[in-house]
Formats: sequence, structure tokens, C-alpha cells
Amino acid sequence: MSTAESATSTATRRTPGLVPVTETMRTTERTEEPATDHPAAGPSGPSAPSGRRSAARATWAFWRLLGSELGLTFRRPRNLVMLAVLAAVPVVIGVTLRLVGGSDDGMGGIIQAVAGNSLMLTFVSFSFLVLLLMPVAISVVAGDSIAGEAGGGTLRYLLAAPAGRTRLLAVKYLNAVVYAYAVTAVVALSALLTGLVLFPAGPVTLLSGTTIPVLDGLVRIAITVGYVGAGMAALAAIALALSTFTEVSIGAIAGTMVLVIVCQVLRAIPELGSITPYLLPTKFTNFDAVLRSPIDTGALADGLLTFGAYILLFGTIAWARFSGKDITS
Amino acid sequence: MTAVMQEAGAPFGAAPPSGDAIVTEGLTKRFRGGQVAVDALDLAVPRGSVFGFLGPNGSGKTTTIRMLLGLVAPTAGEYAVLGLPQAEALPKVGALVEGPAFYPYLSGTANLMRFDAADPYAVRGTVRRRVEEALERVGLSAAAGKRYRNYSLGMRQRLAIAAALLGPRELLILDEPTNGLDPQGTREVRALVKEIAADGTTVFVSSHLLAEVEQMCTHAAIMRAGRLVAQGTIASLNGGLVTRIRVETPDEPGAARVLGSLGLAEVRIEGGQVLAELGGHAPEQINAALVGEGVAVRGLAVVRPSLEDVFVGLTGEGFDVDG
Amino acid sequence: MRRGTFVRWGVPIAAAAVIGAAIGAGPVIAAVSGEPALPERSAAQLLADAVAATNKEGGAAPMSGTVQQTSSLGLPALPSSGSASPLSLLSGSHEVKVWFGAADKLRVAMPTQLNETNLILNGGEGWYWDSATNTATKLTIKKGDTHTPATPVPQPSDLTPQQVAERVLAHADEHTAVRVINNAEVAGRPVYQLVLSPKEEGSLVQEVRIALDGETYVPLQVQVYAKGSAEPAFQLGFTQVTFTPPAAENFTFTPPPGAKVEEKTIGLEDMRGKQAEQHAEHAERVASEAKVVGDGWASVAVIPFSLSDLTAAATGTPDASATPGGPGEHFGEGADPQALLDSVLKSATPVSGTWGSGKLIKTKLVTALLTDDGRLLVGAVTPEEITKAAGTK
Ligand SMILES: Nc1ncnc2c1ncn2[C@@H]1O[C@H](COP(=O)(O)OP(=O)(O)OP(=O)(O)O)[C@@H](O)[C@H]1O
Ligand SMILES: [Mg+2]
Repeated sequence: MSTAESATSTATRRTPGLVPVTETMRTTERTEEPATDHPAAGPSGPSAPSGRRSAARATWAFWRLLGSELGLTFRRPRNLVMLAVLAAVPVVIGVTLRLVGGSDDGMGGIIQAVAGNSLMLTFVSFSFLVLLLMPVAISVVAGDSIAGEAGGGTLRYLLAAPAGRTRLLAVKYLNAVVYAYAVTAVVALSALLTGLVLFPAGPVTLLSGTTIPVLDGLVRIAITVGYVGAGMAALAAIALALSTFTEVSIGAIAGTMVLVIVCQVLRAIPELGSITPYLLPTKFTNFDAVLRSPIDTGALADGLLTFGAYILLFGTIAWARFSGKDITS
Repeated sequence: MTAVMQEAGAPFGAAPPSGDAIVTEGLTKRFRGGQVAVDALDLAVPRGSVFGFLGPNGSGKTTTIRMLLGLVAPTAGEYAVLGLPQAEALPKVGALVEGPAFYPYLSGTANLMRFDAADPYAVRGTVRRRVEEALERVGLSAAAGKRYRNYSLGMRQRLAIAAALLGPRELLILDEPTNGLDPQGTREVRALVKEIAADGTTVFVSSHLLAEVEQMCTHAAIMRAGRLVAQGTIASLNGGLVTRIRVETPDEPGAARVLGSLGLAEVRIEGGQVLAELGGHAPEQINAALVGEGVAVRGLAVVRPSLEDVFVGLTGEGFDVDG
Repeated sequence: MRRGTFVRWGVPIAAAAVIGAAIGAGPVIAAVSGEPALPERSAAQLLADAVAATNKEGGAAPMSGTVQQTSSLGLPALPSSGSASPLSLLSGSHEVKVWFGAADKLRVAMPTQLNETNLILNGGEGWYWDSATNTATKLTIKKGDTHTPATPVPQPSDLTPQQVAERVLAHADEHTAVRVINNAEVAGRPVYQLVLSPKEEGSLVQEVRIALDGETYVPLQVQVYAKGSAEPAFQLGFTQVTFTPPAAENFTFTPPPGAKVEEKTIGLEDMRGKQAEQHAEHAERVASEAKVVGDGWASVAVIPFSLSDLTAAATGTPDASATPGGPGEHFGEGADPQALLDSVLKSATPVSGTWGSGKLIKTKLVTALLTDDGRLLVGAVTPEEITKAAGTK
């Protein structure tokens, strides 16, 4: 039976209360205000009496689902182990620099800077971790978000609940963003504490050679956390998009990691210098703009715009794919 | 069985106020790759019924259920669940689709809370009570705190049914709910379904176990290779087949003669047995007549048609799945 | 269903279009906007205004901004060298930040990954800071040599601006067609573009575009276009610029605690220090033996040269014609010249003719011919021109 045929036949014989498929598919997406849109829902409907109250209920329900999602993420041993590993890296770097830096002063500038000031360890730790380890942790959580549920079969029950596809995708993404910021904050805190224990505190020397007070240094660390977290959130958007294309979460995670590594390789090829500014990992390391005097806001803004573009593009790809996907797992 | 026969039509007789719980018209799903899993399905599930959805493996039952739940987009046709737009209907629908699926690292209680959180209409304040009640109903209270990973097959199935019972439901869609359950579990599910149906909830249950469907359901539909081959009340489905009487006797020709003289149709002799259509005759009168004519009767039985006969008659004897 | 699919995928496609537009918008809008943004000027008027503006009281206007240099000279693959090395400027794109307060107040910073080099000039004093080595070098600049590097326009005070402009143009006219574009934009500012097109057939240069700010007449951009290529082969210019006086902190420098502090007294020309002196002699000898064949844009330099000399020369000054201007060239030393030479020579094609035989290296802007009889011919000309030049002994 062709679609055209069915369309004409249903125009003539239409059972009362029967809603065309296209319409029902559309309304599944829009969980927000069903009552106002469909007065036919009747008194038995779960709909709240007024549009405003139903909007408030939808908001609460959204936060509740997000809370449930966060609970799942932050109780999962795997995710906690990744946080712990990332927290350990600054300690390892700090101890190594302490041992090496004490022996001789023929070291590079940045190592000396760490040895000279406790706050610098945070920036050095980020410059290492941002290349691979933090992207791994973020890809695991974001890449697993949809594919993991699909693979485990829980996705069909969430959608039948009905979680709503757009709503679920938004919750999954926000959850990944929160995890990204958790990772970033944990690294910063661990590096800060390690630095304070191992190295002298005091005014911070910037890359430009100027010196700023400790408090100013802490503010700059906070800016760095905000910036690096945004970068990781952009990566999470890519992982989420890949996650909607597969039922095997390892596939989405590995796919994201391959992209990151390919970008790092492309960056190292000088002939491709013209495309490197558009690659996401290029912008991760731009946080060193806070170590300049004055802060290179242009570089930060450029990075944030790039992150925003990636989030927009891959977020909409994830949405287009997920909202039309047949859930057959 | 007679109980089912008597029940049949009772909820149907009192016409449901707001139409059917599930209606589909020309519902079709063609998967990528050309596989037509469901082909122009016209289904009508009356409110208040316990509706058995039957069909051999691969006949499209699960695919139909997925379409009803909005998991799979139909290729063509229309459907309505509870006569509402999907977003409003689904909170009132409890579903079990193709076996249980939960988070292995969470306890039974935590799993139920998780799925409750996904329902935008669920009230957060009552979730503990509702979860406890649902677990109680499926007999899982004792294992509520255990991790799902450590559940047995039957416990998992029960938890899935509990998830379907989390809120006040107007429709339950259960895809093979007794799969993997022990005999007690099977009986309990059957009792549970009847209990739920008694509250006025419509139950749409797919199954392979024909005896089970015959015992629980008021209505049934039979699928074959994506097409609907029959639907109606159990009585009307059985109605197409006749009740027979079977006489075990060493004197087959004598018995056949007596049955013929009583006016029974289709008298057949099959190695030590004589079969005939019972028609309107009372079995005890036939027995009396046989004994009166001096035919030795070793055994006498009324053979009622079973849903299995209907099913096999409609879907064929072959073991291989279609498509 | 099918229509729904189209609509859904339309969203990411629209997003991609928006992003693509945002990336491409700057150049596209600048190229497309046909309306003149600035009043029309002839080349002579423009030059006169520019000279007048820079000669005004305090010289050029105070400003700050980001200067980007991009080269796509079509060189063979360069071995990746230190990012601050002058050789690295031959390919890819590089950024420096510039703060210009007054004629004697200048800060140039070259940010690299977790490092930064700074040159700060303030009055007769200057600092050179390299965070990689944690070294601050105090520079005391010789008196009488404080002309600002940010104003390359000649400032002969005995001439009126009009006279300067006429003289420059009269000289240029012989070999060059000059025109002015008044609807271009650089770093978001309307600019005049002075377009110089070589009249010589054999030149590889299509045109040179110099952008002058429409308000202050400060040069904001220099572009060199090679023939047959829509993108500039070399570009140096501001990507962001503001004409407000930069904060005073930019021109003060105190060596941070723990830094190595060195002192040097030098003139600006001596920035390269001892190393340059060593090679000055060699360069002088080379220069005395060099001659120029051809005219204007098609001139070819003929230098006595041998492969053994090449290594020695490369360690000194890299090909001067390929590293024009740019404050960045003062920064850093080193990279591996041998590796560079190897890779350049590998890509050379052997050629021969009535003039003899040799190796030809062709880039978008520059052609070089190393003859087997020990001459190096370099010019911004086609290979035909350069072999012709090789024939004229
Ligand atoms: N994702 C898919 N892609 C292609 N074909 C599919 C897909 N899912 C199901 N099918 C096909 O659709 C048909 C119906 O499958 P379905 O799962 O609905 O059968 P079923 O009636 O539930 O069978 P069972 O009794 O074994 O559960 C089968 O032939 C199956 O191979
Ligand atoms: Mg099935």
C-alpha cells in the first residue's frame, strides 16, 4: 500500500479520535504543552488545567530527569574512576617537576615557572590533559549517553515512559556538559592543591613577564576552567552526535577519539596550516591566553565562538538523527 | 474455559464511552532493506478488553507494539492510542516491549525510580509509594534492594511488569509477559492481568502461549507474516470450529451406526475411536443411547475446539518462520 | 515521513550554512560590497594624505592590534622548525600583537603555545623577554636611531607630502600601473587599497596591494598576489586594530623574580648581534660580486654561488627576499638550515639550455636557478625569464 493511497482512503473513512501518524509523531516531540494544543484530551487527560502550570510542570519534570541522569553518571564506578585518574595526573606532574626541577636550573621556562609558583601547575596540567586524557573521559560519557541506552535496551523504555526524544537528548547533553565541567574542575582543584603543597605560593609570573597577585591568579584559573570546560562541552556534542548513530557505545567513543587524534595529527602537518584554526582541538590549548598581559580576550572569544559553532552543528545533527530514528533495540 | 466464554462480551456489551483503546488503520512498516514487518494492519482493541495478540515468530507483533509506543515510525497508515496524541497517551500506557531492559548496576527500586523520572507526568512526591506498590504487586519486595545484575530471568521479567505498573494506567501493553516465568509466576501474571482488567484497564498482550491467551483474554487478533488474519472475541474466533464427541469403543461400526441414527454429522472411525460433530446433542443422552444399543463404551469425551486449532488453521502447520 | 526527514535534516544543514557564512562572511562581504565606502582618491592624493598624516605632530596615531602574517609561497615541505624561528614564517600563518603608544613607545608580543616573546621599547630603553628561557634582556638603544619601525613610509622633512607622492609615483610609473580601491576593508575598518601591478610580462607578481586606513592612513595590510592565484601568496596585516592609546602598563617592564637578566647596548640594526657581524663580511663580498639583470619587476639578481657556500649562507641570513618586514623576524634563532636546504634541493628540477645547466626551484612568487657553473639567479619572474637572464653573461 502506497502512502498516497492511504492518504486518500483515510480522508474518506476516518475513525473519530484517530490521529494521523505524522501528527502523532510530531506531538511526541512536543511534550511541553499538550493540553493547550489538544483540547480533545478530555477531562481524563493528564494535562494540567492551565498552560502556565503545565509549563511549570514540564520544567520540573525536566530537572527531575536531569537529576536522575546526573545521579546515574556520578554513581557509575567507571565515571568516578576516570575522575580519579584525571585528579591523579596533576599530582604526578607536580611530584615529577619537584624532583626534576630541584636538581638543576637548565630547565625550560614553563617548568621553572611551575617550580617558582604553585598556581602554574594548574596551567601546565591542563596543557597536558587537554590533548588526550580529558577528551577521553568526556567522549566516554557523551559517546555512551544514547548508544549505551540503546545497546542496553533501556532507551525503548525511557522513550515509552515517555521521556520525549528532544527532551531526552537535551538532558543527555546537559549531563555530559556537567560531567565535562566536573572533570575540568577536579583537574584544576587537584593541581591547585598539589601546587600549594609542593611549590611556593606568591605572586604569579605570566608568560608576558609581568607579575600578578595570587588572587588575580585564582581568577585566571577560574576563567581557564570556564574556557576548557566549554571546549570539552563542544567535544561532548560531537560524541553525542556519533552516539545517536550507533547502538554500540564503544563505537561512538572510539569514533570521537579517532577524530581528536586525527585532528592532532593534522595540526602537526605544516601544509595544512590553513585548516588547523578550524579544528576543535586547536582551540583547547588557547586557554594560555589568560597567562598573557593583558588577557588575550580575542583568542578566548575566538575559541568560545568555535566551541559554539561545533555545539550548534553537532547538536542539530544529533537532534535530526535521534528525533527520526527507529528504536529497534 | 467456560468462564472465559461467559465473560466474553461482557465488557464489550457495555459499549465503552470513548471508543477503542487502540485503533490502527492500514498501519504499515517497511524496514530499511525492504522487509515489510507489518502490512496494512487494521486493529481495533476495545476499551476494557484483555486483548490477545497472537502470531508466529517474526509475524510483526513486536513491530506493531513499537509503532504504537512511538519507537518506530510507520511507513504508512494511522494509529491512535487511547484516542489521544501520543505525548498525552503514553503516560497512561504501561509497556513491556520485547523483554526486560534495566541498568544492571542499579537495584530494582533505583531502576523503577529512573524510569519514573523519565515520565513527565509522574508525581515525584509519590514515587516511593508507587515503586513499593509495584514491586509488591509482582512479588519482588524481598529483592527490591538487590542489583538488577543479580536478578534471575523471572525476577527480571517481574521487574519489567512492575515498571509497566508504576503509574495509574489506562492501557497495558505487554509483549510476551510470561516469558521465562516459572509456573507460579505464569499463574500470578495471569491473575494480575485479570485483576488489572477488573479495574477497567485495557490489557493488550502478545503471546505465543495459546492456552494462556485462551484463559486470560476476552479478545484476540492473529497475525501472519505482517498481516492480520483474524480478530474478534475469543468466542467468535472459536465459533468457526465445531465441538465434537469422541467415543472409545471396541465396536466401532456399532457406535458409528448409533451416532448416525441420532442424527450426528461427520461420523468418522479412527482406530478404536469414533468421532462426530456434537451439534446440539447432550453428551449424556448419547452415552445412554450407546449403552442402550449394547455398544461397549470404554470412554466418552467432548472435544472442544481450542485456540490452537484456530491458530494453526489460520497460520499453517509449518515450523519455518515467514519472511 | 519522508517530508519530515527532509525538514529535520534541514536544521543541521541550515546550521552548517550559518557557520559557513560566519566564517566566510568577512572576505565575502568585503569583496562583494560594491558601494564605495570612502570618498574617491587618486593615487597621488592618497599618498600625499598618507605622508601628511604621518608627518603630523606626534607621528603615527597610537594604536594596538593583532598582526597576522600568512605565506603560501608554494615552497616544498619545510621541516617543522621552532615556532619562533624566522624560517617558520615562510609557511603557514603567524600572529603578533602590537601596541604602539608613540614614536618611542612600542610593544610587540609574539604569543606561542604556553610561551611568549616580548619586545618593549620605551624611550631610550627597551626590554626583550623570552618566557621559554625565562630571560629578560635589557636593551639600551643608541641615541639618534629611534625612528619607529611601525612607520615604513619615508619621512624626508624637506619635501611637502605632495612632492613626495609625485616623486614616488613618477618613479613607479615606468614599471608599474597604480590604482586605488576605496571599498575594501581590513580588520573591520574601511581602507584605501593602493594596487601596484607590474607592467613586465615576465613577472610572477600579479599585483601588490597596500591597504591604508581610511581615517588615519596607517598602513594596515600588505598583500602580494602571484599570477594565476586568487589568494595572496604573502600577506601581512592587522586582523584586529584599535586606534586608542594602549594602557601604559604595556610599555613598562620589570623583570619577574627568578628571571635571568642580561644587558645589551645596541642600535636597532644590531639586533642580530655577533652572529650577524660574522656573516656581514661574507655578505659584503657576495654583494660586491652580484649584479642585476633585467628591469623593474622583472629584474633578476645574479650571485656567484656554490653548493658548499649555500650551507654557510643559510646559517647566516635566510633569503632576504622571502622574509620581508614583519617584527617577528627579530625573534629566535636557529632551526635546522641543513634540513631546510635538503628539502628545498630535493624539489629542484634539473634544467639545461644554451646557457648551460642547473637546478631550478620555483615557488609562487620567486624563481631561483642554481647553475652548475656556480651562479645563483633569483627573481620574482617566470622560469623562462630566469633562464634568459642566465644566458646574459
Ligand atoms: N530493525 C529491523 N530491520 C529489519 N527488519 C526487522 C527489524 N526488526 C524486525 N524486523 C523484521 O520484522 C519482522 C517482524 O518482526 P517482529 O519482531 O515484529 O516479530 P514478532 O512477531 O515480535 O516475533 P516474535 O514472536 O519472535 O517476537 C521479522 O521478519 C523481522 O525480521
Ligand atoms: Mg516479538
